Amino acid sequence: MKYKKLKVMLLSSLLILGVSGIALAAECIAPANPGGGWDFTCRQIGKVMYDIKAIDKPMQVTNMAGAGGGLAFNHVVAERNEDAELIVAASSATTTRLAQNAYAGMTADQVRFVGSIGADPGVIVVGAKSPFNSLGDLIDAVKANPGGVAFAGGSAVGGFDHLKALMVMQRAGVDDITKVKYISFNAGGDALTQTIGGFTQAMTGDMSEVVGFLKSGDIRVLAVLTEERVPGFDDIPTAKEQGIDVVAVNWRGLYIPKGVSDDTFKMWADRLQQVADSAEWKKVMVDNGLAPFTKVGDDFQSYIDGIVAEVRTMSQKLGVIQ
Amino acid sequence: MDILANLALGFSIALSPYTLMLAVIGCFLGTIIGALPGLGPSNGVAILIPLTFALGLDATSALVLMTAVYYGAMYGGRISSILLNIPGDEPALMTTLDGYPMAKAGRAGDALVLSGVASFVGAFLATLGLIFLAPLLARVAFLFGPAEYFALYLLAFCTLGGMASNNQAKAAIASCIGLAIAMIGVDESSGLPRLTGGNLHLYDGVDFLVAIVGLFAITEVFFFIESHGKHSSLGVKLDKVSIPWKDIIACRWVMLRCSAVGFIAGVLPGAGASLGSFMAYMSEKSIAGEKGGFGTGVAKGIAAPEAGNNAAAGGALVPMLTLGVPGSGTTAVLLALLMTLNITPGPTLFTENPEVVWGLIASLLIANFVLLVMNVPMVKIFVRVLQVPPWVLMPGVTMISFVGIYSLSGSYFDLLLMVGFGVLGYIMRKLDIPTVPVILGILLGGHMETALRRAMLLSDGDWTYLFSSPISIGLWVAAVSGFVAPMFLRNILKKPQRVTD
Amino acid sequence: MQSDRIFGLVATVLALAYIVSANQTQISFLTDPVGPKGFPVLIGIIWALSGMFMVLRPDPQPEWPGLRTFGALAFAVVILIGYAYALKPLGFLLPTAVAAGVLSYQISPNPKHAVLTGIGLSGVLFVIFKYALGLGLVAVPKWLLG
Repeated sequence: MKYKKLKVMLLSSLLILGVSGIALAAECIAPANPGGGWDFTCRQIGKVMYDIKAIDKPMQVTNMAGAGGGLAFNHVVAERNEDAELIVAASSATTTRLAQNAYAGMTADQVRFVGSIGADPGVIVVGAKSPFNSLGDLIDAVKANPGGVAFAGGSAVGGFDHLKALMVMQRAGVDDITKVKYISFNAGGDALTQTIGGFTQAMTGDMSEVVGFLKSGDIRVLAVLTEERVPGFDDIPTAKEQGIDVVAVNWRGLYIPKGVSDDTFKMWADRLQQVADSAEWKKVMVDNGLAPFTKVGDDFQSYIDGIVAEVRTMSQKLGVIQ
Repeated sequence: MDILANLALGFSIALSPYTLMLAVIGCFLGTIIGALPGLGPSNGVAILIPLTFALGLDATSALVLMTAVYYGAMYGGRISSILLNIPGDEPALMTTLDGYPMAKAGRAGDALVLSGVASFVGAFLATLGLIFLAPLLARVAFLFGPAEYFALYLLAFCTLGGMASNNQAKAAIASCIGLAIAMIGVDESSGLPRLTGGNLHLYDGVDFLVAIVGLFAITEVFFFIESHGKHSSLGVKLDKVSIPWKDIIACRWVMLRCSAVGFIAGVLPGAGASLGSFMAYMSEKSIAGEKGGFGTGVAKGIAAPEAGNNAAAGGALVPMLTLGVPGSGTTAVLLALLMTLNITPGPTLFTENPEVVWGLIASLLIANFVLLVMNVPMVKIFVRVLQVPPWVLMPGVTMISFVGIYSLSGSYFDLLLMVGFGVLGYIMRKLDIPTVPVILGILLGGHMETALRRAMLLSDGDWTYLFSSPISIGLWVAAVSGFVAPMFLRNILKKPQRVTD
Repeated sequence: MQSDRIFGLVATVLALAYIVSANQTQISFLTDPVGPKGFPVLIGIIWALSGMFMVLRPDPQPEWPGLRTFGALAFAVVILIGYAYALKPLGFLLPTAVAAGVLSYQISPNPKHAVLTGIGLSGVLFVIFKYALGLGLVAVPKWLLG
């Protein structure tokens, strides 16, 4: 199935490529099919930018699905390296894959990460009946018996949900992170069901995945992996408050080609900042369960560099990459 | 009332003109498919799945269409049973026992109407049962961890295998063939290819639709070539159709009882509609006793299996939707449809895709009424369908199968594989080896393996973890007894043979 | 008797071959207690055992058709395989008409009916698939038209 899909995506993206060459307005590439997170990023940011007059023509959105974003990344690096009117949607999946060398040898420094203005916060969740009442309880249990606590998550082994559990445990001083047990499920929902049932002891995922079960009272969120508490979920403590300085969010942001001038980089960073400050964007975030996560310009680039380095070290320790 | 709110949501989806139209089309197609000898719900639904993709339907619409076909085929199956003494599918077998004698006695119209009403009662009550039971089962799913799921899958194989064959070894072989095929392709957790023999076509694994269409439709063609389509002349003439109120009223309790029996049989994973109609018929036969005259063309003998098998069809949706374990061959095909639509049935289906579940349930209710109308006053139209000669029908089925599978991948390799499955199906059916476990194996193999691997990961390789909870022990006991019991019961509950002229 | 024995034997041999090839699966660095080999090998063992059981305790011989019918079935298989290969290079209409006609003749040996079925089915199905379902079928390949 996967290969077939890939073929179809490649074909359709080639078609779109042929058409999109004529566009004069700013273009946003969503490296996935319509309906996904990256598509959402392009369309919403583009719309708000136009609405608040940060750009004077409507943003043109191009969907270029393939290889988990690798096709679009390659396209930008190889063919659009100096295009000042191009932005590309990205998220933590982009950097995780770059760090794990999943884009066929391409690296994060081949583009410029210009900013992120919203994020789906990472969470660590236990069932309502779990004996763990704080992140500290969970960490103590892992330290006492690493095999006794199994984390469930909706991403594959070595994926972002797995890494969230590892980052927390590493910061907490668990030396051998390969001992931390992680069980991968096809979706966050399945991972949650198993955790509520008590088969796995904790679950790592995104806030948006757990909101339904949080409302029904089946789960307890031990920690949210953000700098500050998330508006609307003010009673959920951050990991940072509990002494574990881990920020792991599924951020929604943009990268631009490497070959553009610093002025262009600044221009896009400014535009993003304007979007982040606008009332329109705040409404978009509330409607879609995003938390504020504004980092633009050089600030964002250094955040990305840090994340990529951390994911790479962790993946090496884990054995996902050599 | 959660259920009412959910039903309202369901009806708001199902009552849109477009969905309604799909339901009506599905009912019509389904009844035709069920009525045609050699085409039953399983292969009917299987052939239509690839074409559903061609139409570019969204998940809900595709599901509504296909379940309407499914219910329609369950209704239609009785037509050829009664008029030709050929069951359109296995569950309709029991209907031939009294339906055909009654038709021969000149009451073909009465038999068709009565069985139509019984089908309606069974299906309607089962849909109600689904509405009340499914959300409860979805909560139960919190009790199912990897070990429990593994045991549950095992139970599905054991009961289905135990029921479907007269020889447990043969059922086991069939299950193993299916499971073995499911292992082919890239291993999900390591990303490395397995058992592909280096053939690139096999890296994605064997598409279950290819296997289903091959085993059901292509195999059927071979059987028709062997028999030269002998069993297809219209045996009984149908003159007038009136409503036999007296019989319907006389059978009211029979229908209710049999609906309950059928529903329970359907809910059991792996048991399905055949068991439902069988148990319904046998229990009514023993209630009626010698004087009941079962087997000579009595009304109750028609109402019982039809209410039973349609109720079982509804019941079989319960484990399919809530646990992802199909209760019959056809629900296995529907599970295949869901999986291709990227919907994972299971406990989270009800919370994450309520519009799919409740839209489906609402359209089942609607489909039922549509089918009652189609199958009672309009039954003559479908009777005419039986006159399509097999030398047109079967080549047509073959060509539709080829184009359907071809449209999935555009690869001749899948077509060759499909023909291969057709040959395999022919040999297996000749040797009385059931083919449904093969399908079940291909569908569930991946899940079963994942469950086992997760369980072992959780327990650090301790095998006793598989039997460590009351639920999993219960499932293992049920699985073993479901597999073994038919061996001993076979002499007592001998399947009645088809009446011969 | 004999049929079951032969099938059981073939099944056992296949199962053993399956176990051998499952054992050749590459193992990655990230592995779990069961690994990618465990389950296939387990299936292979049960498969082989059931096959052996069929050899030892066969059911009564089924009714096999005569040699002529077998010939007809084999021919049908050849036709279907040929159809699978022909569908792409020769377009839809021609192979479908031939395959449908042959199958029709095999079910009911009436040449007139068979020809009509072949031509009728290929035409009607083409219209349905192409225009009602929107499948991208090619009626006749360009090189055949010249």
